[in-house]
Amino acid sequence: MRIYNLASLLEQYGDQFFILEFNHLFVASSIREEVWLLQRKNDLALIDRIIQQAAGFNLLEVDADRDFETYSGGQKAILGCLLTLELIRARGIEGLNVLLSNILDSISDDNRVKLMQLFEKIHSSHHIRLFAQKSNQLQEIFSENDRT
Amino acid sequence: MIVPKNSYRLQDRNLNFEVADDFDFNNSSTCYYLRGGNGFGKTSFLEKIVIPALKVANRQYLYIGQDIRTQLYTLRALLSMQGHKISDTDEYELLKIWVHQGQTARTFIMDEFDKYFPDYHFIFDWSRSFIQNYIIVTHQHLQPARTGAEGLEATHVIFELIGFDGQFKNVRVRKESYDNVKV
Repeated sequence: MRIYNLASLLEQYGDQFFILEFNHLFVASSIREEVWLLQRKNDLALIDRIIQQAAGFNLLEVDADRDFETYSGGQKAILGCLLTLELIRARGIEGLNVLLSNILDSISDDNRVKLMQLFEKIHSSHHIRLFAQKSNQLQEIFSENDRT
Repeated sequence: MIVPKNSYRLQDRNLNFEVADDFDFNNSSTCYYLRGGNGFGKTSFLEKIVIPALKVANRQYLYIGQDIRTQLYTLRALLSMQGHKISDTDEYELLKIWVHQGQTARTFIMDEFDKYFPDYHFIFDWSRSFIQNYIIVTHQHLQPARTGAEGLEATHVIFELIGFDGQFKNVRVRKESYDNVKV
């Protein structure tokens, strides 16, 4: 199988990684609903931070209640990552292994650089290790050893 | 079939396009590489401008969308109903059967196909005999000056954000010389 199979991806990596998969980024249909499900409250501060961060990626039309399906694929990938980063901060999660599946190739060059800068920050502050699939190989982007 | 340079407003996508060049699907054998920022309307340009124009011109096309998995599930079911034994067939073979069945098509559209198949030259091998134009949406850093397929010219197209009025994005779509393509 050249294209990933969700069941095998979870079977292979589900125990060790928090997986962000391009085609399965969200459970709910908007940022507000997603945050509500994950935080169990209407966390306005967290929602605001996601929207503010998104503007830095030229996602100018982001709205808490806008249906995820009205965003482009790359925009959804960025929003999924921003949601994850902000949740890690809000909950003070440490030592998580994050696996990006088909995310980075969905994002334009300039936005990829910005996203990596955010992941690098969270890697340093929260011991987060970041992995991505490249040519069906798992590649570590930020490891514990190069934490600053 | 030509998508002429013009202004296009996509009300339901909150996008205004200023298409600065004609896109000629009649007289040239071209591979268009579409690049640009996230949300600048590459897929919308395909689905709301190019594909409707292809339909009006009765020009058949093959389209592999971003959510390739759903498409492959559908394809697997369709080919099964047609009597193909595809239960153990991998995606590569599945696509091959599909492409070979699509020989009346003259345009082949792939939206971020290269993230699943970084070396996708096999698509040209399978289809070059009947496909005149390819349209490839990509975020890959390096795209070729030449397609590598015989007689197929590479044309790079860039989507640039030129304005946002709080609701609509204004995006310029123009051809870009290879020298200016960021590598």
